[in-house]
Amino acid sequence: MSSLSTTPLTPEIVSREGNTMVLSMGPQHPSTHGVLQLVLEIEGENVVNVDPEIGYLHTGIEKSAENLFWSQAQTVIERMDYLAPESNSLCYVLAAEKLLGIADRIPSRAQAIRVLFAELTRIASHCVWLGTHCIDLGALSVFFYTFDLRENILDLQEEAGGARMHPNYLRIGGCNGDLPEGFLAKLDALIEKFPGRMADLRGLLQANPIFQDRTIGIANLCANDAVAWNVTGPSLRASGVAYDVRRAFPYCGYESYEFDVPTRTEGDAYARFLVRLEEMEQAHRILQQVRKRLDEPGPVMIDDTKVAAPPKETIALSMEALIHHFKIVSEGFRVPPGDVYQSVESPRGELGFYLVSDGGNRPYRVRTRPPSLYNLQAIKAIARGNLIADLVVTIGSLDPVFGEVDR
Amino acid sequence: MPSTQTPPIAGGAIDPPSLRPPIADARIERVDAARVRARLEELHAQGWTMLLDLGAADYPLRTPRFDVVYHLLKLSAAARTVAEVGTPERMRLLCGVEADDARVPTASDLWPSADWAEREVFDLFGIVFDGHPDLRRIQMPHTWEGHPLRKDYPLRGPARERSPRPAFALKSNVQAGVPPSGETLAALQEQRKKS
Repeated sequence: MSSLSTTPLTPEIVSREGNTMVLSMGPQHPSTHGVLQLVLEIEGENVVNVDPEIGYLHTGIEKSAENLFWSQAQTVIERMDYLAPESNSLCYVLAAEKLLGIADRIPSRAQAIRVLFAELTRIASHCVWLGTHCIDLGALSVFFYTFDLRENILDLQEEAGGARMHPNYLRIGGCNGDLPEGFLAKLDALIEKFPGRMADLRGLLQANPIFQDRTIGIANLCANDAVAWNVTGPSLRASGVAYDVRRAFPYCGYESYEFDVPTRTEGDAYARFLVRLEEMEQAHRILQQVRKRLDEPGPVMIDDTKVAAPPKETIALSMEALIHHFKIVSEGFRVPPGDVYQSVESPRGELGFYLVSDGGNRPYRVRTRPPSLYNLQAIKAIARGNLIADLVVTIGSLDPVFGEVDR
Repeated sequence: MPSTQTPPIAGGAIDPPSLRPPIADARIERVDAARVRARLEELHAQGWTMLLDLGAADYPLRTPRFDVVYHLLKLSAAARTVAEVGTPERMRLLCGVEADDARVPTASDLWPSADWAEREVFDLFGIVFDGHPDLRRIQMPHTWEGHPLRKDYPLRGPARERSPRPAFALKSNVQAGVPPSGETLAALQEQRKKS
């Protein structure tokens, strides 16, 4: 590939051949959505070469997870992609369930709740993306519209799991308790509010000439490059490839929901914007279908005391329940040895976990396939030849989350 | 951090990937480091367009010690609809790597996305990718020693040495009456009186 960076652009090797100069952008630049350093080789205003420097947020989450119980590891894993915590835990939980061999015994209500939170978190994550993307472009007011909507979703997460950002509500074997009273009424209110808010956002941006000027024809990525650079999610679909893990490798009963996979063929920042907006609307469509399924009561946790701690009220009555509860709390559960790859469609693309168990009570290896890392890497192909000012649009339109890039 | 009082229960499986539970998540293939490059070239030519992921795992008691794990996807860049994409084939290629000469040929010229993935494996496992154009650490600082995701790398480092106290705050100096600031001295003496 000609677009591969061949020489590391460290400040020590400042190349001043011709008229190029080396400029360091970040790691504290506000447009980098975290801590990303871009070492740029520029000729005037044009970017000749870009070398992203990552790792500033590396916290060793994989190593930590390998030293925690199977159920505890989920708490650190939720903190990888902090804008879509439920996508992370959902993927991990599904992979662990496959290794345990209980994947086909998860109650249908639990599956519906998982879909509910996966889609809520998709909307919330795209809200943050749109708000911050527009701030990068100088449009401050959009932020208030999107964060208002996101706040409603965080409220729902808090209702169900007890925490706004990292509820840790989805568990191996199901969910942590049924949805609380009053949750569905709030969900209904959100479902009703959503279309109006979406119309506001479209009205603010879609035909806005300033927004269009900044995004149409900027940060182009063709389908072949996108596939070669391993770009997934909305950024891949904006280049025309209709690959969506929810359709290609369905999980949690996604095959039984009606929704479209929006694609565009332009592959520019504006196409990614349109795809993400439409994805939010499709998520809303799925929410409506889930809402109907949630009317049916049912268990939300697998009936298997080897994996799921028995309900608290049985502990006082049954000796066995007490023993199972004590065992699971004090030493976790063992998972049969083997390895598995499981992926889900996170708001940023294909999030995958390659889990290895050696038969113990802690995951032996937790390898993440972080969509943000691969999507961000494509900036090397995208940014070449563009203006520095458009670099900000490029980063924004790829929507990387650095908790996940660096882990 | 080890958060529980109970010690870890090791499963004892020395080579977990060989104990396949009946999960059909991908087509699985095993190659050794000598043949992996030829196999990857073959697969690339056969239309495995996407190198979905490249990671590694460390099994210290096994020979070969490491596994470099490739996940490949047969996805056509011309698939414009969900029906055309269908369920693309997925493959897992496990490549065993010896402990004392941990080297694997690079795949970054076949799939450009392997660039950062290989750097990460090099950084965290110490496996060298021959022919990689820019093999530097990516997550850890460039001056770091050791490879954190190896199983023999400790979870916690040694306790950090505390930075030395400034001279005026040392008890011996306070007693000798040589602090630069009378205020600190007074405060420290007050404290001593109380205790």
